[in-house]
Amino acid sequence: MKHVFVFDQDKCSACSACMIGCMDQNDIDLAAGDKCYRQTFDNEVEMADGSVYCAYISAACMHCSDAPCIAACPVGCLYKDPDTGFTVYDNTNCIGCKSCAMACPFGAPRYRASDGKMVKCDGCNERVKSGRKPACVRACSFGALTCVTEEEYRQSGSTKACSALIDQLGLRK
Amino acid sequence: MTELEKKIKAKIPGEDTGIEVRHSLCAICSPGHHCGVDCYVKDGKIIRVEGTEEHPYNKGKLCTKGSALRNYVYREDRIRTPLRRVGRRGEGKFEPISWDEAYAIIAENLNKVKEQYSANSVAFFSGYCKWYRPIFHRFAHVFGSVNFGTDDSTCNEAKVMGDKCTAGCGAGPDLAHANTYLAWNYEGYYSSHLSVAGVQNLKARGGKVIIIDIRDTPASKNLADIFLKINPGTDGALALGMAKLIIDNGWADMDYVEKYTFGFDKYKELVDQYPLDKVCQITGLDGDKILEATRLYATNGPASTNYSASALVHHINGFNSHRAIVCLSALTGNFDRQGGNIPNPPTYLHKPAGFKTREDEFRSERYPGGAQRIGAERFPLWNSLFDEFQGVDLLRQLEEGTPYPVKAIFGLGMNAKMFPETDKLLAAMTENLDFFVNTDLFMTLTCKYADVVLPACTSVERGEMKAYQGGYLTFTKPVIQPLYESKSDVDILCELARYMDLDDDLLKAGYEASMDWIIDGCGLTVADLKASDLPVKVPAAKWPAQPGKILANGFHTPSGKFEFYSNTIAAIDPRYGLDPLPSYRDSLEDQNDPETREKYPFYLCTGARLAHAVHSRAHEVPWLRSLRPNPTVEVHTADAARLGLRDGDKAAISSPYGEIRMTVKVTSKAKEGVLMALHGYTEANVNELIGRDHLDPYTGYPGFKGMRCNIRKVEEA
Repeated sequence: MKHVFVFDQDKCSACSACMIGCMDQNDIDLAAGDKCYRQTFDNEVEMADGSVYCAYISAACMHCSDAPCIAACPVGCLYKDPDTGFTVYDNTNCIGCKSCAMACPFGAPRYRASDGKMVKCDGCNERVKSGRKPACVRACSFGALTCVTEEEYRQSGSTKACSALIDQLGLRK
Repeated sequence: MTELEKKIKAKIPGEDTGIEVRHSLCAICSPGHHCGVDCYVKDGKIIRVEGTEEHPYNKGKLCTKGSALRNYVYREDRIRTPLRRVGRRGEGKFEPISWDEAYAIIAENLNKVKEQYSANSVAFFSGYCKWYRPIFHRFAHVFGSVNFGTDDSTCNEAKVMGDKCTAGCGAGPDLAHANTYLAWNYEGYYSSHLSVAGVQNLKARGGKVIIIDIRDTPASKNLADIFLKINPGTDGALALGMAKLIIDNGWADMDYVEKYTFGFDKYKELVDQYPLDKVCQITGLDGDKILEATRLYATNGPASTNYSASALVHHINGFNSHRAIVCLSALTGNFDRQGGNIPNPPTYLHKPAGFKTREDEFRSERYPGGAQRIGAERFPLWNSLFDEFQGVDLLRQLEEGTPYPVKAIFGLGMNAKMFPETDKLLAAMTENLDFFVNTDLFMTLTCKYADVVLPACTSVERGEMKAYQGGYLTFTKPVIQPLYESKSDVDILCELARYMDLDDDLLKAGYEASMDWIIDGCGLTVADLKASDLPVKVPAAKWPAQPGKILANGFHTPSGKFEFYSNTIAAIDPRYGLDPLPSYRDSLEDQNDPETREKYPFYLCTGARLAHAVHSRAHEVPWLRSLRPNPTVEVHTADAARLGLRDGDKAAISSPYGEIRMTVKVTSKAKEGVLMALHGYTEANVNELIGRDHLDPYTGYPGFKGMRCNIRKVEEA
């Protein structure tokens, strides 16, 4: 069943529990210089009227419906999981060329220095297949980050699917 | 990768993967929370932690800190064996010893002080995580000392005292029935993650939220209909000004006031001194906005108020500020009414669960008496309301030795960084103590000053009894064996009670027997609780708390009424100058001389919560530390521009008491002239800047959240 990450920034506080959930699930080795697949942002944006807007954001791979990273990989590491629809990968053949990272408008794929390969959020594909929520979603106490089936998403009437962001940004030709 | 390998990598529990889910609880923060956790265990090791979905308290949710529980449990600096100091105090040089050796040294030294001086010269002091406190409290008394103290000396208890003096007890917001939430100092996203859903629900059904805070927060952005960004330390003046508006506009519930309250006339005289223009000037708020918020609060039907544990009472005027806010609840007829604030007394260890236990008897029935507790002379109101010593006075008593010397400290999680001018306290302990034993998970700064250090284990390595809202009780089982040679705190205490042959069969019978004694009569035993992996409903529990009991039966105050004018405070010797009315004083009144004003023009507010930290407990957890790697001072954009400070610069923060260095973060979230800094960093301990006598005279609480300071850029060393 296809799944969609949904992010509601009006419920986010950049508390970063999502990041910790990701680190716990993926054994992110900070000491080795590795970085969490998900990042939060607690930014202050000065508005035209002089006021300050506090932006609280959590972001990782958007699992774009037509993901540019897939086409960019010269060795075919990246693909769509036919079941969940997540952008997943097998980096056995990865040559660390970073083409996927360059193609990604969100900077999701990262170079992992410890083994010279690219890594990224795979939507906790195995967890979702086994009926669990992605680790970041599981760690969100506020309903800011959710993961629902395509059908649930359509029924909710929400427009906040992460996978739609690339289209909303108008980055495609 | 095979399918099985994929599942193992993804940590999917099952017989094929050898991964088992075991239930426990997270005890990183205060026992007012302690969420249920699912620990994924493989080969005796925790490999992942999630909130327990079936848990009645947190229903699967965990905060930022709890999500890092695995990283906390397996911290590299866990203490591995009992240790004996071999270097100077503070040097951190120890040698491993056996538990028997440790018990022998402790018994010999505590008894020596008892014989040479008195049992009261041994102070028993507890820090986090508090769960063992009933056992520890009783232990102190059975040993013969009146001096049992805890981190309540600077946390939450001042609020409890304010509640007792005013309403006779505390009362929680009844958000499910409120139309308005007066969310005073409310920032649930950072400090109380489970509370946010209640506020979201209130808004979803059309309720209104007023947030009063000194900084922009996720709550002020996501939840507030009206946000009053107030000058720090002026909340008391706002509460008095709101009271005047409520009375003058005829919004007060005068039936309630006449029937249920005491001292209204004197209170009215006080609030009459706070007209709107004066309140605007003190608080920095807009008059129309105060009026709008007050009208909404007082005229929109039932209104609940948030009373924060420490945000207010960490000002030297904080006790009365809290009281002034509580008074609004009675003035508008919202105290002990549906949709207002409803009393709900704790069942066990700060947790209300709708039934009674014998916790208080267990703690205090062996109180030896015969001497005054530490701090009793200096903080008489504290002493009259609370059966612990006020640890803030420990430094003075160590130095002066009056009314009697303190010669030994038995610490469980004792953390000197919670006190102002930490280094002075550590120096006084070094200088004056014959013996100091501390118990902790990690080799902390304070442990380095101990003669003997004992390794405790974490919540997931022990069994523990815990009550939960909803009428629940649980007794957890260890999900992994205690790491290294660590032990559960209560086992340490009960084993020591046996070793020292203390005169108490309960302690010597152990933790479980003691818990059975405490919960006797609730309809369940420890054995019943242990038969379940999850909290069980207690037959005797009545939940939820119903409003109106206090109104029907009388307030637990000297007058039997809600006291705008506190008879409890009036009974304190007038030479202490404590006002029975919730009067307002400047939060820097001891630092307002022209010279100090000029030298230290900034307002330092320490310890305002952020999601990844709680005191010093999470600073050294690598995942959490990565979210803010450097001890940081938040500087307002305008101040930063004026001083030439940019993000990432190093700055020296100074007060008349000391100087520390922190990394600058430029922000507009707090007001100009205010510096915000988290406490608890050993390398940048902001409490060194708080003067040891900068205290609220009612409670002894340090003014952690309001202190004069200065800041200047320093070049990187």
